[in-house]
Amino acid sequence: MASLPAPSLLDAGIHAQRWIAAYCQQPLHGDVLAAGRDRAAWTAMFEELAAVAGDDLGHARERVQRHAEDIGTGFRIIGESDERPWPASPVPLLIGAAEWAGIAAGVAQRAELLETILADLYGEAALVRRGLIPAALVGGSPYFMRPMVGLVPPGGHHLNFIAVDLGRGPTGEWRVLGDHLRAPIGAGYALENRLAVSRTLDGLQSRLNVARHAPFFAAFREGLAAACRRVEPRIGLLTPGRYAASYTEQAHLARYLGLLLVEGDDLAVLEDRLYVRTIGGLKRIDALWRRTDPRMLDPLAFDSHSRIGVPGLIDAMAAGEVVIANAPGAGVLESAAFGAFLPALAMRLTGRDLILPNIATWWCGQDGALAAVREDFDALLIGPAFGVAPLGLPGGVALHGSDITGAARALLLDDMTRRPEDYVGQEVVRLSTMPVVADDRLVARPFTLRVFAARDAKGDWTIMPGGFARIGDDSDPRANVMGEGSWSADVVIHGAESVEQVSLLPATDSVHIRRNPGTLPSRVADNFFWLGRYLERGEALLGVIRVMLGNSIDADAGAGLHSATVGKLVGLVVNAGAAPHPPSLRRSDLTQFARTALEADQQYSSVRWLNRMARGIGQGSRDRLSADMVRLLDAPMPTRGGMLDRAGSLQRRYAALSGLSAEHMGRTASWRFHDLGRRIERALVVTRALWAFGLTGASADDLSTLLDIADSQISYRQRYLTGIARVPVVDLVALDPGNPRALAFQIDAICAHMKALPVLGDDGMDEAQQAQAAGLMAIVSTATAAGLDADMLADIERRLFALSDAVARRYFLQGAEPLRAAGMTLA
Amino acid sequence: MIYDIRHITTFDYGRQVNFARCNLRLKPIHWSGQTLQDYHLSVSPAGRTAPARAEAGLANVTRLVIEEPVRHLVIESVSRIVVDRPVPMPSASDPTLAEIAAAARISRDPSPAGPAAYLFPSPLIPLDRDIADWCAQELQPDRPCLEAAMGLARRIQEEFAFDTEATLVDTIPHEAFVKRGGVCQDFAQIMITGLRAAGLPAAYASGYIRTLPPPGQERLVGADATHAWVLLWCGEALGWVGVDPTNGIWMAGDHIVMAIGRDYAEIAPIDGVVLGSGAQKMDVSVDVAPVSDMA
Repeated sequence: MASLPAPSLLDAGIHAQRWIAAYCQQPLHGDVLAAGRDRAAWTAMFEELAAVAGDDLGHARERVQRHAEDIGTGFRIIGESDERPWPASPVPLLIGAAEWAGIAAGVAQRAELLETILADLYGEAALVRRGLIPAALVGGSPYFMRPMVGLVPPGGHHLNFIAVDLGRGPTGEWRVLGDHLRAPIGAGYALENRLAVSRTLDGLQSRLNVARHAPFFAAFREGLAAACRRVEPRIGLLTPGRYAASYTEQAHLARYLGLLLVEGDDLAVLEDRLYVRTIGGLKRIDALWRRTDPRMLDPLAFDSHSRIGVPGLIDAMAAGEVVIANAPGAGVLESAAFGAFLPALAMRLTGRDLILPNIATWWCGQDGALAAVREDFDALLIGPAFGVAPLGLPGGVALHGSDITGAARALLLDDMTRRPEDYVGQEVVRLSTMPVVADDRLVARPFTLRVFAARDAKGDWTIMPGGFARIGDDSDPRANVMGEGSWSADVVIHGAESVEQVSLLPATDSVHIRRNPGTLPSRVADNFFWLGRYLERGEALLGVIRVMLGNSIDADAGAGLHSATVGKLVGLVVNAGAAPHPPSLRRSDLTQFARTALEADQQYSSVRWLNRMARGIGQGSRDRLSADMVRLLDAPMPTRGGMLDRAGSLQRRYAALSGLSAEHMGRTASWRFHDLGRRIERALVVTRALWAFGLTGASADDLSTLLDIADSQISYRQRYLTGIARVPVVDLVALDPGNPRALAFQIDAICAHMKALPVLGDDGMDEAQQAQAAGLMAIVSTATAAGLDADMLADIERRLFALSDAVARRYFLQGAEPLRAAGMTLA
Repeated sequence: MIYDIRHITTFDYGRQVNFARCNLRLKPIHWSGQTLQDYHLSVSPAGRTAPARAEAGLANVTRLVIEEPVRHLVIESVSRIVVDRPVPMPSASDPTLAEIAAAARISRDPSPAGPAAYLFPSPLIPLDRDIADWCAQELQPDRPCLEAAMGLARRIQEEFAFDTEATLVDTIPHEAFVKRGGVCQDFAQIMITGLRAAGLPAAYASGYIRTLPPPGQERLVGADATHAWVLLWCGEALGWVGVDPTNGIWMAGDHIVMAIGRDYAEIAPIDGVVLGSGAQKMDVSVDVAPVSDMA
């Protein structure tokens, strides 16, 4: 560094030296920091860490964690409905450019080898016929997809994106632990870890010449596009939906790569072409990056029970109209048993040894291998040969032979004799360690490295510089004991020759300007519409509850409203389905009634229920909502204070959500559907309030309540200095187009949305939803406050429902529930 | 023996369905001991049919697409087939179970007619320790394969009750095993579970069986249904041998193979997707009539 370091940097240097010295005093074996050659780089990294965190490593960890939460990283444990934040370690794994070059070459070689084997297995199967691969090795995999045999993937490749898990041994050699060829998880987490760490350590980038991720992702996208027939292809990321463990990652990747996030229901195949159902009709899709289980992709080609698949998708692929990355069936090579054959296959097919060796593997289905594995049983890992738990290993995971004892061992040995093809023996790999922060100090933990490779536009493999390090929970360095690991770290490749500043943002001159960007899938429009309706309904319900209780619930004065008015308020809540009728209008009953409407878990349409619905939609729309909005939607129900406090806190949250959608959402089609949902719901609320409190004979309490519910007390007082009177109140709440809470204002807004949303026909005729909106407009613009009676209000309510139905029929997915025609009578 | 087979499937939907795509695996496959002479498929209302391009099992697959809205759909499959299949004769010199297991493991046949894929559990026939242990009593590794296969089939036939109420089409083998009852599909799946647990390649066959009329009575027309049994691969020389645990007999002149797969899910006679809502009712009638006793 040319300039003099600031005093804080001096301190940082001292902290860094002390951390490293303390760390290296521990008994370490093959640690990347203690025994590695990159001490200078590690020192620089720790100095950056100390510069932001001082001497407090725990603080550094919190900062990275907070950034990770900001970015919205999360994952879900199968069976849990809530996401967990992804735990990111503040200490990245550092790998020098020279060492990395070897890893990258090894992964590229492996990717190409796997591609060659796949092309043969799904083509001539000459490797099987010549005895280089036993047919049972193929047939044993649950991911061998026989219907893919003979199908040459459009674009010519089975693999476009893969991940390889590597372990580093104590002497620094890297070995392959496993391949991920179906839907490799983690590229998005790698991206998010990098963001979180670089926000914390912003000086690291330039100081260590860190290689960037963006060119890798750009190359992947270009590679997919190059495989498509159309020049400007539309590419989708096919997700199993928001309950998938890595849904957040998928949403993040879709946003980052500019892919349309789609589910099976969004798609349809017609005449061997793939389409997405959008609000503007069917739009072609040229390629899918799939994250769904391949067996679920197409109920006609694979599992006919699949409800998340796209019937005919594989026909479209066979016709060359859809690129699917990776091609279904690629997972056949993930079987551990393949490790026993890859070294020989590499030599045979590429004329070279594997640059990155596999962990040594014996497939017990092979002659002699079973005897050898039994011989060395205690020194080996004994694991399932394929992705299926054999009878002798009911847990489905590899175990150390020496850890298997007693009855379990007898059972295993017995089944290995009966079905040797289900088992592999593997050498036990010892992993080297890296520093992580635990209890505010650095401790050594074993790690594995997931490396990602993608095919670029020329068909060559490009390797993500870095990846995803998974860190073991304890210090046991045996590879399999680690499991999935509970911490992850960024992987920084440093000392590259020069680092080009590439971002995924395209050059401005190569992109058409689009004012209304992209294509809105019908499912997303549906979700946004209902998000709007649920939020508005919740807000209105809170308003009614507060008026009903008076704003003095904690005082002993009571609601202060006439009991007839209170009764009508109760009726509104009951009709909304938020709570059953209270036994009386006594204070205690009303309080209980309000609590039910607010917080009852199983009550359809309670505020809690509405919150849950909105939250579910929010989680399923992460690729299109701001992080702020997702966080507000994700927040749990407030628990502090009395009921009025909790209601108030919820009201503020609703107001914030309303503000965010009004001020921060782009005026895209998705915003229009959100706002349309809000407007229709608000129009319904106001109409029902007018019916309850605004008809002839309304009391002063009724009218005041109407103004409260329509949030128009202040407007009324500003406009009318005289006291409260029915006709001016009704005019303000129903017909005044200048009052943003009035019915007329909502209808105006609805009509504007209807004009802006796409129509299918080009004959200039109104579609049903437009006609409904126009009909409402005609009624509201000709009505007078004095003439607005119960019949008219009932008619308006009916028309609002009809409008909502017409919108759903025109824009949303309807009636596409698949029935299966299976199940024959057998005798 | 020549058979005329008429297999009629009728679907009634509670409400109109708008778009149906199905796989039909109704046309009997080419298989040793049987020759298809004539075949006719008719669908009402008429849809588009085309051969499907690839399949998981051994089946003749036709893709059916019906674009017009329907409430009532009839699929009629008519075959005339010559069956001339000798009854296997077990012998002490047959390969042992251990020998055929080893031969299957090293097989170089990648095709769906090869034994390799049938060594392993499949979606409807998972590994099951209880069934494995029960079947193992008949499956000593040094036993000649045909004798062992018939021994297991007869034991299932004797100890299990034929009971159409006991199970459904998606009942897992374990449940039928515990109940000691079920129909042909259950018995075939239980036997396959046991054979695979012993490391043997076993396939699921679906098709038809001639129902022998009781003496002095007319054969019941239309009372028959599709049938299911087991194929065991017995080494390169003997190949696939069929055995029917429902009746405790070999697959011979009374069996007509429609399709072969790892389990029912791969070769269901009709499956697919229809778009609509509401209930679906299905009715199947099968008639297997011998044309003459001369092959």
